[in-house]
Amino acid sequence: MSVSLALVLGLIGSILAPFAAARWKTIGNALVVAVPALLFLFFLMQLNAVGQAPIIEENAWVPSLGITLTIRLDGFSLLFALLISGIGTLVALYAASYMDEKTPFYRAQFLFYILLFMSAMLATVTADNLMALFVFWEMTSLLSFLLVGFDSTKLAARKAALQSMLVTVGGGLSLLAGIILIGVAADTFSISALMENPAPLVESPLFTAIIILMMAGAFTKSAQVPFHFWLPNAMAAPTPASAYLHSATMVKLGVFLLATMAPIFSQAAWFGPTLVAFGGATMLIAALQALRSTAFKAVLAFSTVASLGTITMLIGLDGEVAAVATVGFILAHALYKAALFFCAGIVIHATGEPRLNRLGGLASVMPITAGATVLAAFSAAGLPPFVGFISKEYLFEAQIESTFTAIAVLIGVLVNTVMVAIAVVVVMRPFFRPARRELHVHHGEATGMTVGPVVLGVIGLLFGLAPGLVATSLIQPAASAIYGEPLDVSFYLWHGFTPMLALSILVVALGLLVAKYWDPIHVALRRRRIFDRVLDDRGYYWVLDNTLALARWSTLRLQNGDLRIYTAVIATVVTFFMVYALLAGEGPVFPSVNHPEFNIYMVGVIGLIIVGCFVAALTTSLVTAIIGVGLAGYGLALVFLLNGGPDLALTQFSVETLFVVIVTAVLLRLPLMFTTTRTPGERRFDASLAAVFALTIFAAVLWIEAVPFNPVIPEYFAQVSYTEAFGRNVVNVVLVDFRALDTFGEIAVVAFAALGAWALLRRSNVARKKPASTPAKGG
Amino acid sequence: MTFLYAAAIAAYTGCGLYLMLSRHVVRIILGLALLTNGAIFLIFFSGRIGSMVPAVIPLGDQQLAPDAANSLPQALALTAIVIGFALTAFAVALLVAAYKRLDTLDAREMTAAEDMGSPFLPPGGRPSTGGRPSNDGRSAEKTPEAEKKSDEVKTNG
Repeated sequence: MSVSLALVLGLIGSILAPFAAARWKTIGNALVVAVPALLFLFFLMQLNAVGQAPIIEENAWVPSLGITLTIRLDGFSLLFALLISGIGTLVALYAASYMDEKTPFYRAQFLFYILLFMSAMLATVTADNLMALFVFWEMTSLLSFLLVGFDSTKLAARKAALQSMLVTVGGGLSLLAGIILIGVAADTFSISALMENPAPLVESPLFTAIIILMMAGAFTKSAQVPFHFWLPNAMAAPTPASAYLHSATMVKLGVFLLATMAPIFSQAAWFGPTLVAFGGATMLIAALQALRSTAFKAVLAFSTVASLGTITMLIGLDGEVAAVATVGFILAHALYKAALFFCAGIVIHATGEPRLNRLGGLASVMPITAGATVLAAFSAAGLPPFVGFISKEYLFEAQIESTFTAIAVLIGVLVNTVMVAIAVVVVMRPFFRPARRELHVHHGEATGMTVGPVVLGVIGLLFGLAPGLVATSLIQPAASAIYGEPLDVSFYLWHGFTPMLALSILVVALGLLVAKYWDPIHVALRRRRIFDRVLDDRGYYWVLDNTLALARWSTLRLQNGDLRIYTAVIATVVTFFMVYALLAGEGPVFPSVNHPEFNIYMVGVIGLIIVGCFVAALTTSLVTAIIGVGLAGYGLALVFLLNGGPDLALTQFSVETLFVVIVTAVLLRLPLMFTTTRTPGERRFDASLAAVFALTIFAAVLWIEAVPFNPVIPEYFAQVSYTEAFGRNVVNVVLVDFRALDTFGEIAVVAFAALGAWALLRRSNVARKKPASTPAKGG
Repeated sequence: MTFLYAAAIAAYTGCGLYLMLSRHVVRIILGLALLTNGAIFLIFFSGRIGSMVPAVIPLGDQQLAPDAANSLPQALALTAIVIGFALTAFAVALLVAAYKRLDTLDAREMTAAEDMGSPFLPPGGRPSTGGRPSNDGRSAEKTPEAEKKSDEVKTNG
């Protein structure tokens, strides 16, 4: 079976299974778990093949745009696919149980989102075409929005959902821009093609912009500084979603992209150091915020942000070990962090108490959960013989071997100290320390919910004890994929007495110390409000509020209901572009003064027009103004008459006469003198605007006369008017034959205008009786 | 002569725009009429003028004489004249109807739609009908009454 087919079947299953779950509880839940489980088995079977060479399958999607839905399964994306489908299986199992007491529809809806997310996520990591990757990337953002805001009746959930959406989708736009630039620079959207031939991309002047844009997209998705704030807020999601999206899989998409592109991007010398800087800053800030957090899930969320920072830093570090460390850390972190979230969910679900310091003494009530938490926490703390220990050893080795030794190791030690402390605290507080006050436990642990953390915890122990299980089959191909060349991987537990072991021991010792004094440190840091001001999402709200305020302000300013402003804006813009066009073209050119030939009658006619216009513009009397407009109109008719357009002249005479008659007849009901509606200042402004506009038109007319005339169309009409349309009056033939549809439209417009005017005036006839009847009634 | 033609077109458009910038609805319509004429003149002019011979094929000939006027801008101008007239006539009708109902010719005071509430403000953000006294609100209330009254008049008559 091909990977594409498996993905499509997975999608179909993801859509259908939740509907079954809505109807038949047991069978439906089994189906919901079966879909990711089967996918997991499928991807497991690909291990051997991918170990040899990446699987690439091409499917045409938009052939005309050169977009193919190519599937690319290399070691690194296979690692992600296994994590997504494997943890997805446990999440589905866990969620079915977590939502047990909810209505079937509510539960099915949640499972629907989760499975749909899984499909989108699998498609993202296996997409070879960057455009396809972007589409699926945004789908995960959208599903994250739906899952964070799942408790849609809660204001906090809706706010957090919107925030995560705006941040990740905003970053997604940046990513899209970067992808488009890649297409411009390298003429391909295919990751495989870029890997084979990175030269056009690397040598392009757009290379820097591309890296920055794609980095911004990755940083928003993976909650790196300065976008770290959305992830902790996203904990408003139900816990299964938090465990799945916001710790194990989706938030790793950013680092997935960076790691995938790293072999190419690292050709820019500043790529690595930038990632180290941002990753390091994220680690420190997240560690600090984790110490300041009270809620169980918030502590875990900040430790997730710190881990994402660690991965970002590892991608930025140079050397072979860094690639192995990245892969190892992603694997270990997904295993233990998902398990910890599962356990947090069980505890919160059973007690209804989200705050860590209110929990206690739960080990006797929920022993399995306590055991699973211990397993996961040991791995998180990096204690042997868990897989977390191996990954931490590699982390330190990568830091020591890199060119950033001192600062990287310092950050690593500080942050891992906090990680150890967190691991100790999340085990001791809820389970082994007595509760400070009476804790009401609603129910014990459900089997469906404990399976996930126990399995993950045991796997963490298993991989630690027998790293050979994953070293060559999974870690080696994945690390080779992001390193760019095949690597020899030695992923084993005991490295001997090395500097890394010393650092590990130091970190554990310091971590235990911090855990012992957790409360005083927590309280002292929490009191410092300055951290709130600098580190939380104030910046986001500042941008959001000001964007909305700007929109409101500009709407009220521009759409202020004053017709004069609208007209002025339109006139200004039109004038601006006309002036620009005149200047940007060949510049003002002047025609010969003697063409067309001098004609004394024309001078008189034009004088009539100009006088008429100014009379209309300047008078305060309605009748005078109408006469002025009429004069100018008759002037135009005379222009037509004197220039070989008798038809036009006739039409213009009739229209102008009608205009004067109708307007006079109708407007005589209105006040005969104009009331002033503009201040003198406004009038001066309008006069200058009109003058500039008129001068621009003047220049444009001269320019028109000066450019060469192309008589092709009139000559064509002149030749075929009689022979083909059998008419001697060419103007009329053009109207009723060559441009018949145009004329038809014109007639329709006139008819509609007449209908509209008739309807309006008929209505006003009804209203006209009002003044007659009012005094009668009043008296 | 080109300068004179250009001056005439500029006078049309400039004075037309000046009138259209007014808040007095009648002036806006007059300005629209002038601007329309300016546009028609511009179309006519850009087809190059100078020939006094109409674009009509003389009897017996198969083709137009080479010195005849350009037919294309004339056809376009003819369409434009008629459309312009239709537009102006409709605008005049609209103006009369508006004046009967709203009793004002100032565009600023024609706020019957705005008084129904601003779509840009949240409900309760600002009183949508309160604030300044608006005669449009009153006339909007009056209209159904007036229609009822006129019905009465009809039935009585």
